[in-house]
Amino acid sequence: MIVQLVVPDSQLDSRLGRVSPVIKLGIAFAWLAGLALTTDARPPVFLALIGVVAAVTLGAVPVSRFARGAAPLAIAAGGIAVFSAVFSTHNADPAAVVAVALGPLRITTPALLTAVGLFARIVAIGTTAVTFSQTTDSTRLVDSLVRHAGVSPRFGYGALAAYQSIPRLADDLGALRASRRIRGMRWTWHPRLLLGLLVRAIRQGDALALAMDARAFGLGERTWYRDLRWQGRDLVAAIAGLALLVAALMLAC
Amino acid sequence: MSGSSFASGPSAGGASPGWRTRDIVITAIIGVAFGVVFWAWNVVYGAAEPIFAAAPWARDALYGVWLIPAVLAPVIVRKPGAALFAELVAAGVSAYLGSQWGVDALLSGVLQGLGAEVVFAATRYRSWSFPTIAGAAVLSAVAAWGHDWFLYYSDVSTDIQVLRGIAMAVSAVFFVAGGSVLLARSLGQAGVLDGFPGGPVPQGTRAG
Amino acid sequence: MASPAGPSRRAPGRADLAAEGAPAAIRARDLAFTYGGASRPTLRDVSFELGPGEALLIVGASGSGKSTLGRAIAGLVPGDFPGEWSGTLRVGDLDLPTTARAALAGVVGMVFQDPGSQLIMDRVEDDVAFGLENRAWPVGAMRARVPDVLAQVGLAGLGRRRPNTLSGGQQQRLALAGVLAARPGVLVLDEPTANLDPDGTHAVFGLLHEIRERRLATIVLIEHRVEAAWPLADRVLALGRDGSPIDFGTPDDVVARSGERLRAEGIWLPRAVDAALPLLPTALPLLPTAPGAEVRDWSGGALAAASPVAAGVPLVLAGEVIFGYTPHEPIVRQATLAVRAGERVVLVGPNGSGKSTLGRLLVGLLRPWYGWVRLAGRDPASLPARALARDAGYIFQDPELGFIAERVIDEVRAGLPAARVGDADAMLERLGLPPAEFGQRSPYRLSGGEARRLSLAATLVRRPSLLVLDEPTYGQDRRGYEALLEILRERIDDGAAVIAATHDERLVADFANRRIEMAEGWIVADEPVAVASGRDATAHQRQAVIEGPAVAGARAGGPDGS
Ligand SMILES: Nc1ncnc2c1ncn2[C@@H]1O[C@H](COP(=O)(O)OP(=O)(O)OP(=O)(O)O)[C@@H](O)[C@H]1O
Ligand SMILES: Nc1ncnc2c1ncn2[C@@H]1O[C@H](COP(=O)(O)OP(=O)(O)OP(=O)(O)O)[C@@H](O)[C@H]1O
Ligand SMILES: [Mg+2]
Ligand SMILES: [Mg+2]
Repeated sequence: MIVQLVVPDSQLDSRLGRVSPVIKLGIAFAWLAGLALTTDARPPVFLALIGVVAAVTLGAVPVSRFARGAAPLAIAAGGIAVFSAVFSTHNADPAAVVAVALGPLRITTPALLTAVGLFARIVAIGTTAVTFSQTTDSTRLVDSLVRHAGVSPRFGYGALAAYQSIPRLADDLGALRASRRIRGMRWTWHPRLLLGLLVRAIRQGDALALAMDARAFGLGERTWYRDLRWQGRDLVAAIAGLALLVAALMLAC
Repeated sequence: MSGSSFASGPSAGGASPGWRTRDIVITAIIGVAFGVVFWAWNVVYGAAEPIFAAAPWARDALYGVWLIPAVLAPVIVRKPGAALFAELVAAGVSAYLGSQWGVDALLSGVLQGLGAEVVFAATRYRSWSFPTIAGAAVLSAVAAWGHDWFLYYSDVSTDIQVLRGIAMAVSAVFFVAGGSVLLARSLGQAGVLDGFPGGPVPQGTRAG
Repeated sequence: MASPAGPSRRAPGRADLAAEGAPAAIRARDLAFTYGGASRPTLRDVSFELGPGEALLIVGASGSGKSTLGRAIAGLVPGDFPGEWSGTLRVGDLDLPTTARAALAGVVGMVFQDPGSQLIMDRVEDDVAFGLENRAWPVGAMRARVPDVLAQVGLAGLGRRRPNTLSGGQQQRLALAGVLAARPGVLVLDEPTANLDPDGTHAVFGLLHEIRERRLATIVLIEHRVEAAWPLADRVLALGRDGSPIDFGTPDDVVARSGERLRAEGIWLPRAVDAALPLLPTALPLLPTAPGAEVRDWSGGALAAASPVAAGVPLVLAGEVIFGYTPHEPIVRQATLAVRAGERVVLVGPNGSGKSTLGRLLVGLLRPWYGWVRLAGRDPASLPARALARDAGYIFQDPELGFIAERVIDEVRAGLPAARVGDADAMLERLGLPPAEFGQRSPYRLSGGEARRLSLAATLVRRPSLLVLDEPTYGQDRRGYEALLEILRERIDDGAAVIAATHDERLVADFANRRIEMAEGWIVADEPVAVASGRDATAHQRQAVIEGPAVAGARAGGPDGS
């Protein structure tokens, strides 16, 4: 169903895959902050391209897989851009050049330009997220958040365990719908399904929590089976990420 | 040897200190479930945006979906930080699965969670009445509104912004606060919240 | 509670590492527990003593409090299940329930019934290591221990796999490995072979025998079908329906003192033990009671012809059905079969062979990729829900998956015409869930066996003509089993057909007149089941199959330990 759910080992063991998730997350945040500074379309387009290229080359993500992950984002970005263009403050300016006029609808050129910039920004933000999730293992992410970013292990691993239950929840949703149908209830997306799904989620959470407690979760200090150390490549990635952001922002000047 | 004898159960009204594993996992799993809902909702919402151009308030009335975990989870587990944790997990999952908002989903999540958290904290996690819950939902909506204005709608005219804000606040009260209270009550009636302060219904009592 | 990172943070060789390896004694005195809001206690006057390294088998009717006692020993009751508790329970030198959960978790490990729900991490080896990390084992010790345990449970080399790609049996072994890794002093297992095929069951019991023989841990085992568990036990604790113990002692003593009482309570006994008891189990309504007489016409006149080629109008037909959950990975391959009124089909095969999937295809809950299914002449996947529910009933392997209501009584009444509401109460009564006691309860506050009977009641009460039941007898005591068989027989007499996916060889022997075997998605056998000859041939004598060679005689070894 969801393309991203299981990331193949080839992507996880790629060069980008072995960069510390905390670093990748940091870069993504830096890019987000940087892009918020400008409405120019060039920096986000540049960063989006970098994101795609990095994923495909350094991250070993097949192009088709990347496209499938990014497609919904592009659709959504388009919608938001249209909204912005229609309701832009620039449209009220009588002096502005009208680019589109459809009946009562009047979209000015500056509004359109801003909308394009916005579209590019959202695509760039979305692309970095796809690049991140296609090269990052959820376990590694939490490991590094806990060990390198000071996140509480109880909350970190609690969330990780909950995350692993997504496939089961998806199955449960199917089973819920099936059990309604076989008992003669109309086979629609009934609102009660949400309640049913939450019931299942809580039952699963309970079972998980019992199993975790039964294995001494939260006993006190913990150690780690998986190796995780800062590597040279983490430093390289951090520097490259920031340098690319600076380069992108310079495009706008 | 002397035997011990006692009754266990959730403390009557307020928050019991400390998070049990069960609280953590249930909060997280509510976050995860809604993270998947967000993921789907993101696409629907984004794609429907041109349609909503005709009636933008309708679109913002649907905004509430993103705020539900920030209220539902604390209503059930009643622990300090539950709003923030649930919303953060939900946002993180939706971003990890692929969201047009990217890591900004996390930022939104933190702000929305904090919005609700502030209200619960102001009552020292003791009041779980509907006005408190509605207040938390509204403040969460306010946080989201401010964030979106800055990041995505800075170019949109102010009267539209105000309309958005009103629609979001109304949606927060009905959808988020009302919805969360109803959901928590139904879950309690279904008998899956035993051991949580937020809504176990003793067995044998009729669900009204 | 952010903690500093770093592999060298903790000095290796914690003093209690060694202690974790030592089996602990368990002592219970006048234990009583009542679930919050329940009208009567679930456990009462429970007292027993178990020496370190001994194995305790807990038996009892469904709902007698076995799981509750198991959870109490693991420290989960009354912590996670609110209620009233009194009495003394000591594990090693820890006093329950006052001991902190975390401290107890170092001593007691618990394996639950559903393997999937207890897997925490995303990789097999990470999952095994999880309990060790929490106990702050040094990295080196973990690296050595994890492959060891995996090999011990027969999962060597699968460390990097994702647990959800393992079969049910493998998942159960992994759950066991996760608990065994930390060398718990006490191992609590609640129906650990739930849903396992005979091979998987064998493997798990083989492992348990090894643990017992080498006195690696004190074992507390909860089981209904005791054929394999009996030889393992040093002590047996039998719980009565009211939650008070019927007897406690060595297996032989318990049988000698209370054998008949156990049987009267509906507790299963091993075949050999049962046969040796003076009273033959006349109460068991066997199917068919008079062979030859019952297996007459539905399948075309002769049992030998009760195969797919038999005559008669089929209730369900499937032709060349191919289906899978993910593209290019068929799970059911070219299944072709016809099931006619009156047929009693069992669907058998190893874990993951596609039984549940085929069942769902037959009632239209899944749509085939290729091929076709006809239920009473129509495609069930396209039938309106109402028509489908009239023609077909289905119970899920995990009964909770089927629950849609908030109270037991509503669960059974859901969708029933008003005129037949009374049937719902009667059905609950017959399946041992009297509405007066259970009607207002939440379906999620039931024991495992009760939940399964509820799902059966909700389906059987509708009297569909085709019944597809996924593991209907698992976790049932003898009364529940007999009641179910009786109801199924009535349905067959009314012209219905039953298809039961099962690992229960006893059900095959007692019930089936046709057996379909699956392997890797293929139907590899479809044959009539020979009916045992002679009226007094009891089910118990027919089920020798489930007693595995590996467990036979294993008891003979091992010191007594008391
Ligand atoms: N969470 C709960 N809340 C209230 N009552 C419960 C709960 N769980 C179980 N019970 C009740 O307590 C009794 C004992 O349940 P328990 O699960 O211990 O039985 P069991 O012996 O394991 O039965 P089974 O063989 O069917 O699994 C049952 O009558 C059951 O209905
Ligand atoms: N919802 C699902 N999504 C993906 N794969 C599934 C799903 N359900 C089952 N499978 C896979 O299909 C295969 C057959 O599963 P199925 O449940 O039909 O087997 P089974 O014969 O009923 O096994 P068991 O004896 O363990 O119940 C297994 O490999 C399983 O992992
Ligand atoms: Mg049980
Ligand atoms: Mg199955």
